[in-house]
Amino acid sequence: MMGRTIFIDPGRCIGCQACVSACRECDSHRGKSMIHLDYTDEGRSVASLPTVCMHCEDPVAPCAEVCPADAILVTADGVVQQADTTRCIGCANCVNACPFGVPKIDLQAKLQMKCNLCYDRTAYGLAPMCATVCPTGALFYGTVEELQAERPGVQVADIFSFGRSEVRTGVAMVVPADRMQWPVPGGLPVVEINGKDVRR
Amino acid sequence: MLGSRLLENFDSALLPYAVAAVFLAFGVAYRYMVWVSAPGARRLFNQGWRSFFSVANFRKAPTALPRMIATYLGFQKFLGARSHARWAAHQLIFWGCVLAALITFPLTWGWFTFTSGTGSGPGYEMRIWGFKIIGFDSLDVLGWLMFHGLDIAAVLVIPGASYFLWRRMKDRGAITGQRFAYDLVPLIALIVISVTGLLLTFSSVFLHGGGYEFLAVLHMVSVVFTLIYIPFGKFFHIVQRPAAVGMQLFKYTARQDREVFACRRCEEPIDTGPYVDNLRATMRDLSLGFDEWAEYCPRCKRVLRGSAYLSQVKKGFK
Repeated sequence: MMGRTIFIDPGRCIGCQACVSACRECDSHRGKSMIHLDYTDEGRSVASLPTVCMHCEDPVAPCAEVCPADAILVTADGVVQQADTTRCIGCANCVNACPFGVPKIDLQAKLQMKCNLCYDRTAYGLAPMCATVCPTGALFYGTVEELQAERPGVQVADIFSFGRSEVRTGVAMVVPADRMQWPVPGGLPVVEINGKDVRR
Repeated sequence: MLGSRLLENFDSALLPYAVAAVFLAFGVAYRYMVWVSAPGARRLFNQGWRSFFSVANFRKAPTALPRMIATYLGFQKFLGARSHARWAAHQLIFWGCVLAALITFPLTWGWFTFTSGTGSGPGYEMRIWGFKIIGFDSLDVLGWLMFHGLDIAAVLVIPGASYFLWRRMKDRGAITGQRFAYDLVPLIALIVISVTGLLLTFSSVFLHGGGYEFLAVLHMVSVVFTLIYIPFGKFFHIVQRPAAVGMQLFKYTARQDREVFACRRCEEPIDTGPYVDNLRATMRDLSLGFDEWAEYCPRCKRVLRGSAYLSQVKKGFK
């Protein structure tokens, strides 16, 4: 059940990197940005996709499940926290198991870091840094009702498919109304790589 | 019991410490078993020990393991990459605690004994398991060091733990999501143990033993609480850390064999081949049905998801 969370609308993203800069200012990981901004068809399209931690609910946090050191805590409000600095051994299991490609790793410091929904802000009712500064509303923080009040007719989806598996997340994406009942494709199975069809 | 020669030199005043040590042993064994039973830990645990016992690995890189133990467990260089101040504070706590443990447990079980035929002054002997190791004068420098080892440990621990406690009050990154029982209690416990320990010396030197019994009980209670807490809180990382060396060794030996796994899309290295196989097996153990996704780097996963959204959900991101 979605509460107050981030809603991502890639259709509104203009790739301005304001979210990346603002994320760097977050107190819980000062100087390092945890949000990803990718250009999905670079050179041919200006389409860009911001990626924050999706805070997977079912299965609950695959990153935490594969962690050999029990370093990733999921708090009662469903937020998947970044790795506990005391426990993280820098193995990168979480980095490579995350279906959304979210966690980052500092191999020198043997430490994983990831978006924690700006817990220092959201725990006190403030919006995360990225959603606060996004000039186009591609990153919206609030409830579904608040989103729909601002953007009538908009629909959201919180289920993503990866092959035959589905992942339900705490963060949702904006989808066209007719796509609402279908899971959002997560990119797996991979159908094409660099222009080559790789379907078997 | 082992090495104590049927508790021949057991000091009954240290009974609570001995009981806490037994609880600690059982608690650590229980928590360790629960921990290594989870798929992620179990698989890396097995791979780490496999790398450790491999004769071929030892021949290829005989110095790898001692080097990793020294830099990772001893000098903790990785903490320096996080923050120099945190590294320095952690080193103070670490060496202080190592020194304290090397003194406390052997004394508790009577493994160390000190005998003297002359009372104070020369002729002191230190025995380990009954065997004489060293003779010294209790009033010279060596004697002073021998009888103030725990004071030295306390002097090391207090500034280190105080720095971390100050950081937990001031640093907003550290404050985010911190929990009293998990993050603050261990630091407070270390400081209480160290301060009460130093006060015992203060009492005997300057107060002619005034308040000694009360301080001894307070010190004992804080140590017993901490020993029992070790398996169930933040201190459990002490038990977990050696596993990190196993993980490093597992990756290092595969890199020696040039078994690097490249992303299927961009061909940038992800990690070693055996590591990716191990992760995929862990994901299958956990019924995470997208383990083949581990063969793509994080950036390619995001780009492929963006492409799928672009082509299948919102054509052109309109």
